Amino acid sequence: MSARDDILAAIRTGLTHGRDGALPRQTPAQIAAEAAALLADPDEIRPALSGPDPVAAFIAKCANPALGVTLERLAGWEALPQAVAAYLTRHDLGPRIAVSGDARLDRLAQLPLETHRDTAPDEAAAISVALWGIAETGSVVIHSAPDQPILNAMLPRHWLVVLDETRILPFLDDYAAPAAPAPRNAVLITGSSGTTDIEGYFVRGAHGPGFVHVLLISR
Amino acid sequence: MADAAFKQRAHDALADTNLKTAIDRTTGTAETKRAIAVEAFPEFQAARSRAAAIKDHVIANLDHYLIEFERNATASGAQVHWARDAAEAAAIVTKICTDADAKIVTRAKSMLGEEIGLPHALEEAGIERVETDLAEHIIQLAQERPSHIIWPAMHRTREDVATLFFKDHHPPPEADDPAAMVASARRVLRAKFMAADVGISGANFLVADTGATCTVTNEGNAELSTTPPRIHIVTAGIEKIVPSTDHAMALLRVLVRSATGGEITQYTTFHCGPKRPGDADGPEEMHIVLVDNGRTRMIGDEFRQMLRCIRCGACMNHCVVYRQIGGHAYGGTYPGPMGAVLTPVLDGLAQSRDLPHACTMNGRCEEVCPVRIPLKTLLKAWRVRTWDEGLVEKPLRYGLGLWGFAARRPWLYHLGARMALPVMRLFGRGWIRRLPLAGGWTDSRDLPAPAARSFMDQYRRQQKDARK
Repeated sequence: MSARDDILAAIRTGLTHGRDGALPRQTPAQIAAEAAALLADPDEIRPALSGPDPVAAFIAKCANPALGVTLERLAGWEALPQAVAAYLTRHDLGPRIAVSGDARLDRLAQLPLETHRDTAPDEAAAISVALWGIAETGSVVIHSAPDQPILNAMLPRHWLVVLDETRILPFLDDYAAPAAPAPRNAVLITGSSGTTDIEGYFVRGAHGPGFVHVLLISR
Repeated sequence: MADAAFKQRAHDALADTNLKTAIDRTTGTAETKRAIAVEAFPEFQAARSRAAAIKDHVIANLDHYLIEFERNATASGAQVHWARDAAEAAAIVTKICTDADAKIVTRAKSMLGEEIGLPHALEEAGIERVETDLAEHIIQLAQERPSHIIWPAMHRTREDVATLFFKDHHPPPEADDPAAMVASARRVLRAKFMAADVGISGANFLVADTGATCTVTNEGNAELSTTPPRIHIVTAGIEKIVPSTDHAMALLRVLVRSATGGEITQYTTFHCGPKRPGDADGPEEMHIVLVDNGRTRMIGDEFRQMLRCIRCGACMNHCVVYRQIGGHAYGGTYPGPMGAVLTPVLDGLAQSRDLPHACTMNGRCEEVCPVRIPLKTLLKAWRVRTWDEGLVEKPLRYGLGLWGFAARRPWLYHLGARMALPVMRLFGRGWIRRLPLAGGWTDSRDLPAPAARSFMDQYRRQQKDARK
């Protein structure tokens, strides 16, 4: 028998001939119904939002210093180039920034900015557009795609991420629903990279970005 | 892993004050952070119960969900492999690497990888293995095994880490503070991430209805290990299945709070198949190795409940024994209370019979377990089996037999107690630090000195006085 057959057979034997007696075997429909019932009353097993609406809750979460995030609200996409240039100046990063392939970032290709693709391993700053925001945790979500390189979010020291506030979902489970069909990578990013591996000291910028700046586009 | 060695390892660990300092610094912080996170989440108790129910549902239908996962993972373009035991799993991974002519393999921390002996197997195959989690990087340099499932280098002080990095990092760190050392590891590992041929990760969840595997990390090393190389390999225990992403989220809420006190990890990634046509980055091949290695043996009895474990490490952070002896003394892949339950399954009870006894039964592990595993009950179940299988050492067996003989004869028992009390009181007031013939106990513990009279004597006297 193959390893697959052996393992499945051992599971069935354990479930039907165990020391504790047999567990009732269920039909696929019964299994699906039980799985769905385990998600009933979601408010009983998740925290309340930290604001009166998802946008306010998302902003409140990002204000938590433990996340290592800064957030800036923009009136619209047209305000983006100036905000990005100001951020780079503020952090003394020079005019260069790596951009994901998202067409909405094409507007950054103007002076004083110098944009480029192919994020380098030691890139100082890069910018992506988030697909979703999640108010419960202050997370942003990116999906791998032709115009969304995952490494653009992982390699730079400063990662800037644009989020349209209409894309903010209340809870983690609200994200799970619209996510299908699954992309190669779906990454929920919550704050900057960090580690507590040396005596529990929190140090930012372990492997991923040490600085995350959310540019929140108002509706 | 010989059992006789456990007492020696525990003894050595107790004498190592540096170790105690290192453990206290991290477990103390972890305990505090978890308490704050739980306080801020009033729904935590309900969420724990639901998490336990989700895991029980999965285990009761494990064959169904594994087949569903396999179907969906295959549809996403991943190749699914099955391994009955550790050797088979390690051989599958090694073969994928050698078939691809891999020179450098990056690994994102996975306890299952440790369980199946992957570090050793890759070494045997002559492949350069690069541990990318900071703690795993530290213990790779120190040539050690993890001592904790969340903080594998918990037993190392920052001074230890500085010594290792100054020796192995070229150029060396700019300073010996944690920030400079993290920066140095970032620099050293950057080149490896980009040069790797294969990236190997574990999985916190296997999502049945999408075929995705989920990793949670705070450093971002999983994403950097699994995106640049040509091949991504996942090794995961079969119990990691969840029905859907929603169920994964419900478990994630209790997992992260219990592990680090966060609400969610910095990076929570669902990996689903290889690079899609046109994608900007990602591996060309994805392999998933589903590993049994003793898990199916647990399904038929009370140890089924141990398959709920989501590897948060809270039980060890709150364990008085773990905090005294650290993870290495346990001798297995998994330390602490969950390790004391799992190691006899993985390594055999004869090899690890002392572990279920290295427990004070204070029950703190059960109180904090995010999936309500009855750890105390399971540890007791191993103790019973140790006795039933004749694995208890003769002196203890005879001693307990003698005690049992006396306990069934109250006049004899009371006589013995009355004679022993004054003798014991000769060796200490308040606390007994040393007692002849009991060095095994008093070398590393103090014993409260007994009262002058036994409980029964005092009780009888009070009853008599009351009647006067």
